[in-house]
Amino acid sequence: MTRTVILGAGIAGHTAALHLRRMVGKEHDVVVVAPNSKWNWIPSNIWVGVGQMTVKQVTFPLAPIYQRKGIEFHQALATELHGEGSADLPRPHVTVRYTDPARQGQTGQLEYDFLINATGPKLNFGATPGLGPDGYTWSVCTAGHATETAKAFEDVIARLKQGENQTLLIGMGHGTCTCQGAAFEYTFNVEHELVKEGVRDKAEVIYITNESQLGDFGMDGMNFGHKGDVIPSQMFTESIFQERGVKAIMSAHVEKVEPGVAFYEQVDGTKGQQSFDFAMLLPPFRGADLKAFDAAGEDITTDVFAPSGFMKVDADYTPKPYEEWKASDWPRTYQSVKYDNAWAAGIAFAPPHQMSRPQTSPNGTVIAPAPPRTGMPSGVIGRAVAQTIAERIKHGSSGKVHTASMADMGAACIASAGKGWRKGTAAAMTVFPIIPDKEKYGEAGRDVKETYGEIGLSAHWMKVMLHYLFIYKAKARPLWFLIPE
Amino acid sequence: MSHLTSFPNAPLPTEGEVGRRTNLFVQAGRFAVLNVKMILMVTKGHH
Repeated sequence: MTRTVILGAGIAGHTAALHLRRMVGKEHDVVVVAPNSKWNWIPSNIWVGVGQMTVKQVTFPLAPIYQRKGIEFHQALATELHGEGSADLPRPHVTVRYTDPARQGQTGQLEYDFLINATGPKLNFGATPGLGPDGYTWSVCTAGHATETAKAFEDVIARLKQGENQTLLIGMGHGTCTCQGAAFEYTFNVEHELVKEGVRDKAEVIYITNESQLGDFGMDGMNFGHKGDVIPSQMFTESIFQERGVKAIMSAHVEKVEPGVAFYEQVDGTKGQQSFDFAMLLPPFRGADLKAFDAAGEDITTDVFAPSGFMKVDADYTPKPYEEWKASDWPRTYQSVKYDNAWAAGIAFAPPHQMSRPQTSPNGTVIAPAPPRTGMPSGVIGRAVAQTIAERIKHGSSGKVHTASMADMGAACIASAGKGWRKGTAAAMTVFPIIPDKEKYGEAGRDVKETYGEIGLSAHWMKVMLHYLFIYKAKARPLWFLIPE
Repeated sequence: MSHLTSFPNAPLPTEGEVGRRTNLFVQAGRFAVLNVKMILMVTKGHH
């Protein structure tokens, strides 16, 4: 009998838990530790943030699903990793602090034979003074945040209807943010709702980003193959901005936010400020800030985790300039550099570097989009790690090691630009591979036949279909495992 | 100081393109094509 502890119940952790439960016998324990009681289909939070969906439509309680599947669930936050055991508990274990109402604040120790760290991101609003719902901007990172944002957006629409002019600022709240796709989606859903409400003419919509050009998306841009031509994602994206009358502030690091004003620095060192009546700015991410200790109780956090708080895995972390980055720098197995029986899946693994060329202002400010690794890659990695552990449980160290390098993986992404069965629109994009591979595909870094973009109503239908499909899968309904990640 | 950028040189969709993007019959066909494209891409991502 073995015991696998999975930290986190987001896309990576939840996928890993369900697959592992399916792949190993009931005599083996699968344990999930997550601070939230509910699962959230985060890609639909942008619709909650404009009042087009409710929290109930994008979340569901985890406990009943885990009870039905025979997965042990602890609603708790992991705080310490003791991969070699400790003086009082010799087996590897994690220390957790419970967050459920019955055991709020109590601590516990959970032993394991195998560990998956799928803790996802810590929303680092503190990196920018004044950023976030506790400051002066809104967020759509969680369903709760998105609900509050929708109320604020409703107030904006009411003021517009009273004849006031309003400025809406949407985008990145720091120079090292990721998830530009989500900010893009929220921008155009807001714009779409303003048109629907008949108040677009009184509103200025501004996108602020750390990208050096539109369409970068933290992926160094893309080249879409289209009827024998190549269309850069920059042109594709600028076209949407021009068509919808949205302006942008590029290559920007938001330094601080005060009531109604965002202060930023651009890559050339110049400073600026943008006033707003409503702002939705995403925070930068960092790791969950787990502490790691050796058997003697010494703090070995820096051996196990990168300074960003993400777990170091089988990547090449040698510092090197953009020109020397290779697809092979990226991890394949996601096994911890420190522990043979621990893996990091989804956002929790430390990437070797960005994908986009990092920039530094003359003042030394780093303006560099962090690499996206949410959604589909998170799910695929979660499943691959679960498969590796299932092999280890069944065959010991001779079990097959499953790989899921983002340099060999394609991704499909649907970026909503407005909701509605008849009037909705979205950009459907496929990219292969996710990590640019210039050795294999030349300067473009990707296969232009497989990298593709299209805008239309059908892409919106696709986004709606994926919403229901992935919630069905996450609820582990019949034949859920046939739905790919 | 403001650094607002607009994109006057970006190509705008033609009237025909806008029509195709919203035409129900065209989009039903594109929906099928997109599904196939996505499935092929997802298949490539699973080893």
